[in-house]
Amino acid sequence: MALMFPCPQCGSRPFTEFWCGGELPDGGHGAAGDIEADYARVWLKRNVCGDQPERWFHHAGCRRWISLTRHTVTNLIHDVV
Amino acid sequence: MTSFEFEGRQIPIELGDSIATALYRSGVRTFSRSFKYHRPRGLYCGTGDCPNCSMTVEGEPAVRTCVTPATPGLEVHRSTGWPSADIDVFSALWWLRPFMPVGFYYKSMHKPAAVWPIAERFIRQLAGLGDVPLNQAPDDRERRYHHADVCVIGAGIAGLTAALVAADRDETVVVCDEGRVGSKIPPGALDSRITASLAQVRRDRRITLIEHGTAFGIYEGPLVPIVAADGLHLVLPKRVVVTTGAAERHGVFAGNDLPGVWLARGAAVAVGRHGLGLGNHAVVVMETEYALDNLASIQAAVRIDAVLAPSALAARIPTGLRVIVDGKVERALGRARLRAVEIRSPQGVERIGCDTLILAFGLVPRDNLVRQATAASVTVAVGGDVATPGLGLEAAIASGRAAGRGEPTPLEEPTLPAAPCAGFVCLCEDVSAADLDLAWAEGYQGTELLKRYSTATMGPCQGAMCHGHLRSFVAARSPVPILSVATTARPPARPVRLQDVAAGARYPLEWHTGLHERHLEMGGIMEWAGVWKRVERYGDVMEEYRAVRERVSIMDVSTLGKYHLAGRDATAFLERLYPCHVANLKPGRSRYALLLNEAGYVFDDGLVGRFGAEEYYLTFTSSGADAMESWLRDWAESWGHTVRLANQTGTLGAINVAGPRARDLLVKLSDDPVDSKTIPYGGLARITIAGVSCLLLRVGFVGELSFELHHPRLETVKLWDALLEAGRELGVRPHGLEALRLLRLEKGHLIVGQDTDFDSTPAKLGLEWAVKMEKSEFVGRTALLRLKDIEPNRILRAFTFPGNDVPLEGAQLLEGTDRVGYLTSSRYSPVLGYGVALAWVYRHRGTFPTTVEAIDGSGRTMVGTVAEAPFYDREGGRLRA
Ligand code: FES
Ligand SMILES: [Zn+2]
Repeated sequence: MALMFPCPQCGSRPFTEFWCGGELPDGGHGAAGDIEADYARVWLKRNVCGDQPERWFHHAGCRRWISLTRHTVTNLIHDVV
Repeated sequence: MTSFEFEGRQIPIELGDSIATALYRSGVRTFSRSFKYHRPRGLYCGTGDCPNCSMTVEGEPAVRTCVTPATPGLEVHRSTGWPSADIDVFSALWWLRPFMPVGFYYKSMHKPAAVWPIAERFIRQLAGLGDVPLNQAPDDRERRYHHADVCVIGAGIAGLTAALVAADRDETVVVCDEGRVGSKIPPGALDSRITASLAQVRRDRRITLIEHGTAFGIYEGPLVPIVAADGLHLVLPKRVVVTTGAAERHGVFAGNDLPGVWLARGAAVAVGRHGLGLGNHAVVVMETEYALDNLASIQAAVRIDAVLAPSALAARIPTGLRVIVDGKVERALGRARLRAVEIRSPQGVERIGCDTLILAFGLVPRDNLVRQATAASVTVAVGGDVATPGLGLEAAIASGRAAGRGEPTPLEEPTLPAAPCAGFVCLCEDVSAADLDLAWAEGYQGTELLKRYSTATMGPCQGAMCHGHLRSFVAARSPVPILSVATTARPPARPVRLQDVAAGARYPLEWHTGLHERHLEMGGIMEWAGVWKRVERYGDVMEEYRAVRERVSIMDVSTLGKYHLAGRDATAFLERLYPCHVANLKPGRSRYALLLNEAGYVFDDGLVGRFGAEEYYLTFTSSGADAMESWLRDWAESWGHTVRLANQTGTLGAINVAGPRARDLLVKLSDDPVDSKTIPYGGLARITIAGVSCLLLRVGFVGELSFELHHPRLETVKLWDALLEAGRELGVRPHGLEALRLLRLEKGHLIVGQDTDFDSTPAKLGLEWAVKMEKSEFVGRTALLRLKDIEPNRILRAFTFPGNDVPLEGAQLLEGTDRVGYLTSSRYSPVLGYGVALAWVYRHRGTFPTTVEAIDGSGRTMVGTVAEAPFYDREGGRLRA
């Protein structure tokens, strides 16, 4: 509950200002693929125990998406873009 | 002299008093009645670690009065006991204990089933910690954030030292203590060191001191929430130092909970700091060295008849006191008060009459927060007694320094007390050693199991008193180490009020359209629509409805999602996003569009309007308005399209002008052409109406000729008033949401979120016409391809119900005795003379049912038949007029 996200636009902000866009699938978000690849991307979440790339939307701030890597156990965050 | 009120009498306050010390001075000895057996409980720990002094203060139950300062005018009473805590008739429960073993209510009150509700009511009234006030006015509390370098929890000598060391390294520090700093320390060397360090801390501008601030948890991040009188402080430090000290070890033997039994430090503080008397005759258990210092001050307040000490300490007991070497308290005797103790020593068993028994068994670390931090993978530095209980003043300062520098201190595995044989192990939950014995015999073998079954360690003190005893109880019975592990520590480490946690979060977001005041003036009854307040009706819904169908009506639709989208790739972007065609849309036209997610499910709908080659106007539902921005930006970014997006939901107002006379009304207010040639159904134009420049969309949600006028929010009142004024001779009146719901249902239009749910594909909704599968790409297309060959298991269908009554929304649909669906929308249609509805129906015996029996919440049954929507004006002539 104490997650602070380093937003590239707004600085360090509490995570309650963000919406979670879920984990970033292999090959990135919005990749066009065939039916099977698309199915895997939409439904088969990896749900890793460890570092996980994710998308978050800063709805109560700059209203931009950020991509970051969050450790799902410690909630430590790095690689913010 | 100042005073506070306690159960109808005034209690004088002396300087530095807590509520408990003031009460004790005024003769109060029974501070509470215990949780289950209603046993009298008196002052015990004096340091906020045990539950005994809990009372109701200013209507708030379970306040630890020994750490709550006495302030004039407070209203205090004991929360438990009837007719009073002093004479509690339910103390007879103690004699009934053979009938109420641990977990008795699970065992004895379930047969017959009817007994339980009665028993439960009775038990609930008897047990517990007082009444939660239900009519208390909410309190305005603030939530504030501290972005400090270091958070120090506990302002004892180690904590203050750590704070000063960190500040010297030019770090910013927040240091908190749950009481007034130093108030739990008896006078002496430690006390003066604390006073000196405190003065230094107060002078240091890099240090923020929060007294009476309770840190109740350590969360990942790290985050340390501190509840203080002025609200909730959320500290977000780079590192955390825990210096919460140690509590005095609880003594477990028969009669250990009688008033008159004290823990040594509490007794020393009571006499040394507050000048309280302890009684006439005392017996002291002195099993630990550190408490020797307290003996002198205790001796000044009460006659000590005997000191029980191990042989190693016996020589250090002041001369003149009778020492019983290796004596152990066998049991304490008395009913409402301590009368005597029975002592077993190598010389045999001896009974000594006394009214005070002081226990110094040693210290147990207050390590709840440290253990929580470990569970949350937060590394903390610990210092002082919490790291090494009883380490002494100089060592405490040294370890505070190390913690202040952030050096890791190994946490010592706390020593366990002797295994309890009799008496109360858990004071909070009234769990005795006999209860644990029984639970063990029933198979609950291990700390985690015993905890859950007996609720020992689950009381307000969170096991501060009883946790070690529970572990030693298990360790004495089983050599398997895992069975006697420390149980998991979880927040809150101290009792907190929900109100404190919710500080700053009490105000619901409420958005108003530019017409909100007008609606109220016109008698509008408002309802919530997401974060918005919208008009449900102004008066007679049928009148509003008829104005739309027969004349002309206006409605505030400012809550619709409204976006302006432009840029080099605008067309390509929308073509790839929407399931409908966008590229072939002519400028000046708009089109209904579904929004699909990647799984192929409908999650919003609206219009796409085109201004020019790469310039668009998009609308969405009111509830989807906010989230659509993230959706649009997400795809634009992911695909790398160059588009610019302006969310105009809040800056534009929108008024829908609908009804057969709608055009007549606009003509009166505008010089621009609004005829069907210039602006056909689906048209989009910029026109000026009543001097307000508007974006006009010819739409058809209600099934009549209608124009949505989108305009600058600041001019919305002007436009609204002009429409009402000019429309008077046409019989205009505004309509609200209730009329709208009927109007759209007659047209068979669904409302996303009401008639759809999480897995509604266009095929299930009968909206396949709005999806162009021939397009090579759009969001959700691959999912729909995959679903193409799977027959839907349920579909949304239109139904009619004859007569002038319809089942309520949510009614269940039956075929025979089988449930085959449910209604999502239903209204009686005055123009048609029968009920119209939308319903989900399941595939049943190979087909979708066409005639169903509907049973609604009021118990009525009605027969409905499948129908073709729209019900009203099927050819759409009125819409296109
Ligand atoms: S004594 Fe408080 S939880 Fe057991
Ligand atoms: Zn931001």
